[in-house]
Amino acid sequence: MSAFLAAGPNLGRGGIGAWLAGLSPAGKAGVLAIEVVVMLVVWQLVVGVFGWINPVFLPPPTAIAQGFVELVAGGTLWPNMLISAQAWLIGFAIAAVIAIPVGLLMGSSLPMDRVVGPIAWTIYATPTIAYQPLAKAWFGFGIGPVIFLVAVSALFPILLNVAAGMRTTNASIIRAGKVYGASRTQLYRSVYLPSTVPFLFAGLRQAVVLATIGMVVAELAGSASGMGALIIKAANTYQTDQAFAAIAIVVAWSVGMTQVVTLVERWAAPWTRKGRR
Amino acid sequence: MTTTSIERNEAGAPLISVRDLSVSYDVARTGKRLTAIEGVDLDVHEGEFITVLGPSGCGKTTFMNVVAGLVKPTTGTVLVGGSPVTGPGPDRAVVFQDYALLPWRTVFDNVKFGLEMQKELKGAGWRERVQEAIELVGLAGFEQSYPRELSGGMQQRVGLARAVVAEPRILLMDEPLGAVDALTREVMRDEIEKLMAATGKTVLFITHSIEEAILLGDRIVVFKSHPGAIKEIIETGLERPRSERSIQHDPRFLELRDHLWDALQGEATAAAVSK
Repeated sequence: MSAFLAAGPNLGRGGIGAWLAGLSPAGKAGVLAIEVVVMLVVWQLVVGVFGWINPVFLPPPTAIAQGFVELVAGGTLWPNMLISAQAWLIGFAIAAVIAIPVGLLMGSSLPMDRVVGPIAWTIYATPTIAYQPLAKAWFGFGIGPVIFLVAVSALFPILLNVAAGMRTTNASIIRAGKVYGASRTQLYRSVYLPSTVPFLFAGLRQAVVLATIGMVVAELAGSASGMGALIIKAANTYQTDQAFAAIAIVVAWSVGMTQVVTLVERWAAPWTRKGRR
Repeated sequence: MTTTSIERNEAGAPLISVRDLSVSYDVARTGKRLTAIEGVDLDVHEGEFITVLGPSGCGKTTFMNVVAGLVKPTTGTVLVGGSPVTGPGPDRAVVFQDYALLPWRTVFDNVKFGLEMQKELKGAGWRERVQEAIELVGLAGFEQSYPRELSGGMQQRVGLARAVVAEPRILLMDEPLGAVDALTREVMRDEIEKLMAATGKTVLFITHSIEEAILLGDRIVVFKSHPGAIKEIIETGLERPRSERSIQHDPRFLELRDHLWDALQGEATAAAVSK
């Protein structure tokens, strides 16, 4: 251990770190695949083969796969997935539509920042689950409270990141803009906005994860449909394999949407592509 | 001076005329008033290459920023081409120490930035002008690269191309080679000397390198610190074209270097003590 520490952080300068850093995209995917397979095999052995853990509490991967098949065959998966996806997408869109302009205003105006900033941080710091009962009271029992919680969860990471991006625009680049004759409008369009773009995408990535949490929280308590409702119903009837299958789908959605954001970023902002890591 | 071109230029009105320039500002944290530069007088003639030499914190960058129109004088006047400086203008371009390129733009789009802001992209031939500038600084083939894909020296070449493409009368260079590695710096000094000799531009070049100041300058303006002010102005009187190698053993170069060493050593020590 001490020898490991003495070598300092291994960020790709030597040994296995250098090997990992030098991998092709396909090679990286291969390493990830091996990791996943090894994890699943160990999990299967511990629960399914040796029976060290009661499978009712932690079903083995094969049982979860079985649970997935049951969900599909029972016809409960698709409708719930669609409801959730719909609420998520509407809520996320609402959040983005509000957060981006307000974030830009906040980042470009100190008075706006002073007024909106504390409010934004306070709501952002509040656990989403605290709003859940209120959301029920305000929006009833349908998709409304889910949309609300998704939107509230996604709004502030986007807003605060956009504001920070605007505020931290490189002073030297702003000077260059002025020297080369940029008008106020040109300065916003050609300097401030592009330099905010990487922050926007960082905010969107955080928002994806938080929106998914908001969605599940809203659906867990008292909702008749959606992935959260599916999880709680399965768990309440000790069909933990189905509950885990539903959780896996939510995780896949979250990871998938994060990847979508990253792909859009690569297309829209190719200059942000980092070095190989 | 021996060259006739300088004598001819000196006969006309100066292109840059600075009179009794002072800049001071309030420092919010300490509540004190800080004088960055005080009582600066300087005339720069068309086609002259002026190097401004001084220790860190002597106000030489502030001086350049005033000429660029980025900082307003507290007292005194700065005339460029006879009219007072009220802000940045197309007659002046700046090369920044930290390059100040737009990371989201390719080399080509960075170089065209000045033309774009001045709405000069409408007429024909701007593409050729941008391409020419890129080739002039030796970056042909890198038009579609992003700044982060380039070395520091190459990024500064982009900064140089961006400045010359707008065809300003005055080039302001703020320690342009300060952040570039030592070897590249020597190569680029020679290139800047050639480039400026070829274009005949008026240059205000800020540096803290004695060799750089001598190699490039027609005149060296030596700054002192606390407050920043001109200590002396020296004519280099070295034949052009010059290069890093050709002047190394020139007795005039050695004489200037010793003189500037003595002048700056006192300044650097004073600056270190007062910090």
